[in-house]
Amino acid sequence: MPVEVIMPKVDMDMAAGKLAVWHVAEGEVVKKGAALFDIETDKAAMEVEAPATGRLHHILAVPGVTVPVGAPIAFIYAEGEAVGPAPATAAGQPAEAALAAAAPPGAEVAVAASAAVATPETEVEGLRATPAARRLAREAALALEVLSGTGPKGRIQRSDVEAEIARRRQPPLPAGSGPAPGTVEARPLSRVEPVAPVDWEPQPGGLHVTTRKGTGTPLLLVHGFAADSFGWRPLEEALPRDLPLIRIDLPSHGRSPLRQIGGFADLARALVQAFDRLGDGPVHLLGHSLGGALALALADIRPRRIRSLSLIAPAGLGPEIDGAALNGIARASCTESLTPWLKRLTARPAGISDDFARAAMLGRIDPGLRAAQQDMARALFPDGVQAFDLTAAVERVAMPALMVWGRDDHILPWRQALAAPGEVALHLLKGVGHVPHLEDPETVAGLIARHLAA
Amino acid sequence: MNAQTLFPEVQQREMSFAEAIRDAMAIALERDPTVILMGEDIGVYGGAFQVTGDLIERFGADRVIDTPISELGGAGVAVGAALTGLKPIFEFQFSDFAALAMEQIVNQAAKLRYMLGGEAAVPVVFRMPSGSGTGAAAQHSQSFEAWFGHVPGLKVVQPSTPADAKGLLLAALEDPDPVIIFEHKLLYKMKGPVPLGHYTTPIGKAAVVREGSAVTIVASAIMVHRALEAAAELAKEGIEAEVIDLRSVRPIDRATIIASVRKTGKLVCVYEGVRTLGVGAEISALIAESEAFDYLDAPIQRLGGAEAPIPYNPDLERAAVPQTPDILSVVRRLVRGEV
Repeated sequence: MPVEVIMPKVDMDMAAGKLAVWHVAEGEVVKKGAALFDIETDKAAMEVEAPATGRLHHILAVPGVTVPVGAPIAFIYAEGEAVGPAPATAAGQPAEAALAAAAPPGAEVAVAASAAVATPETEVEGLRATPAARRLAREAALALEVLSGTGPKGRIQRSDVEAEIARRRQPPLPAGSGPAPGTVEARPLSRVEPVAPVDWEPQPGGLHVTTRKGTGTPLLLVHGFAADSFGWRPLEEALPRDLPLIRIDLPSHGRSPLRQIGGFADLARALVQAFDRLGDGPVHLLGHSLGGALALALADIRPRRIRSLSLIAPAGLGPEIDGAALNGIARASCTESLTPWLKRLTARPAGISDDFARAAMLGRIDPGLRAAQQDMARALFPDGVQAFDLTAAVERVAMPALMVWGRDDHILPWRQALAAPGEVALHLLKGVGHVPHLEDPETVAGLIARHLAA
Repeated sequence: MNAQTLFPEVQQREMSFAEAIRDAMAIALERDPTVILMGEDIGVYGGAFQVTGDLIERFGADRVIDTPISELGGAGVAVGAALTGLKPIFEFQFSDFAALAMEQIVNQAAKLRYMLGGEAAVPVVFRMPSGSGTGAAAQHSQSFEAWFGHVPGLKVVQPSTPADAKGLLLAALEDPDPVIIFEHKLLYKMKGPVPLGHYTTPIGKAAVVREGSAVTIVASAIMVHRALEAAAELAKEGIEAEVIDLRSVRPIDRATIIASVRKTGKLVCVYEGVRTLGVGAEISALIAESEAFDYLDAPIQRLGGAEAPIPYNPDLERAAVPQTPDILSVVRRLVRGEV
């Protein structure tokens, strides 16, 4: 039996993936674990490994098409195994029918005969970079995609990567001390000596805000530590379609600038500033974990503009926190070191797939971002303790408030929810960990929708 | 590393390239009775380029042997003499004529030690005046280093200085295998310091003749001088080029070239042989296959001979092989990131 190659789920909320390029041609030999094809998600492009050793046949998806998660896109035959017509899928359907049938409405799906695959009409334009630039970027864990090349036809050269590394490593110096800007020399990076600590430079600009249009009062979303606004998508899918959304990336997170944070108050101030810049209309407010604590602070500071408050496993309601996991996530410079910590987020380790972890690592590939988050973790959670207390703020909550917590939360113990006054509606979800909005988005969205409607 | 730095204490004298080769042959004839010279008109006439000069007067016609006008016959006798224990130095009037002796060089000399299981060796040296620039036209101006470099069993060297010409010839005589020495005709009159007495320049070792960090130029024979001339000009523009004198085509000094490209990230190969399938192709490939690949910061550039016979017309002859302005132009474009 040939082994099915399927479109993997690399993202918790991923329904379909876009095939970017095959690394192996029809009929060629593949080795288990070797790069087989690349897919593009909204966050990043990533490589998918071959699930078995053998020869690749029946390539069903050409580069550029979107394929539903789980759909077969090719088959790997063992060496010597007879290659027949495209086999049926595990579900018993012919592979091509399954691919077409599984397509979500609106998704662009193309089923290609093998012959067509050999000569794809649109060639994937690769990134132009010299071997030296690629090596340097790899060693610095820099994504080449973020660099702009100054060589012929935009080719990224060694000097382009060196300039970027120098820019990121330039320490924030008080005026008049140390070397002048531009004279900071990039220290050589090597694989055996990873770059810890990385110097990073605060960046100018306000927090990154994205919105989803709709009708009525918008829901403002504040993500947790080491997450970003992309993490809300499973919940967004489950929430009412016409509910307008505003997402804020916290400082040094997602697409917001890197900022020096001395403590929780700095972070709250940054959020209030961004909130004030949104206008003066009312919002529903939702925060998760550190974002929950910030939501509590914001609700305390700007109570008149907050219609309702929803908190998912909020921080700030007790001293205990799994500091090792937070530091581990912030520090991890590769998938191998990130995955074990990510698995603490969900109720059970199986909740985080390897592909999900790899996609998460791609979102944290910038060493400057990781260094800034490590510094932030030290300021917020020194010695693995929550150094800020919002129990007084939760006592003062003046708007309708809801709290959702997983009973198997390994990061923040759910009993901290008991710090909330009786007026706060409390939902303790069984079999759910620290990320209920990822682990059970339907239930959480249902609770929030009911809460907003009330 | 050249002979001067290897032997600083040795006395040296200014000599031309041709004089240095004659000096090497004289030393060899004096110290080793098995050494003989063979070739067309190398005796009384003193050689087509006057390299053997008066050696017949000093060592006699028994050891400085004029051979008939048959390269195949002469080379065959030289190979046979080597098999029986002599160390012949066989001179071709032009390297182009080696085409007539390919059977003896490629099928016999290069193979016999291997085919006889090491029971016999062929310590013959073939001296081959080569290269263009003398108005000798298409049949007397070629550069065949890559041809012979393609044959396992042969060693192929290309000295660029009088000191190396002498040192490599003396090293060739100590080598158990046939060694081909390409002597660029334009270099014969070039003068330089040459250590006195016997010394050898190791076969298979390139020399970094100018250190730099911006680009590596690997050149051989006359091209070394054009590369150095270009490098001096580039230095005025702030471009520090590293120049490597290849010296040996087979075996080729991978380590020196790889180390240099790792440092500079840019490679230009300059050679007189036809560009396609030439020495530069081998150097480019060995870099692409090596750990220096990850340090390349621009495409490798090859400057080689035109894909045409060497013309008789002097302007066209110059245009057919790399000249100093060609090297300047390609390095400038490379360093400016235009290629």
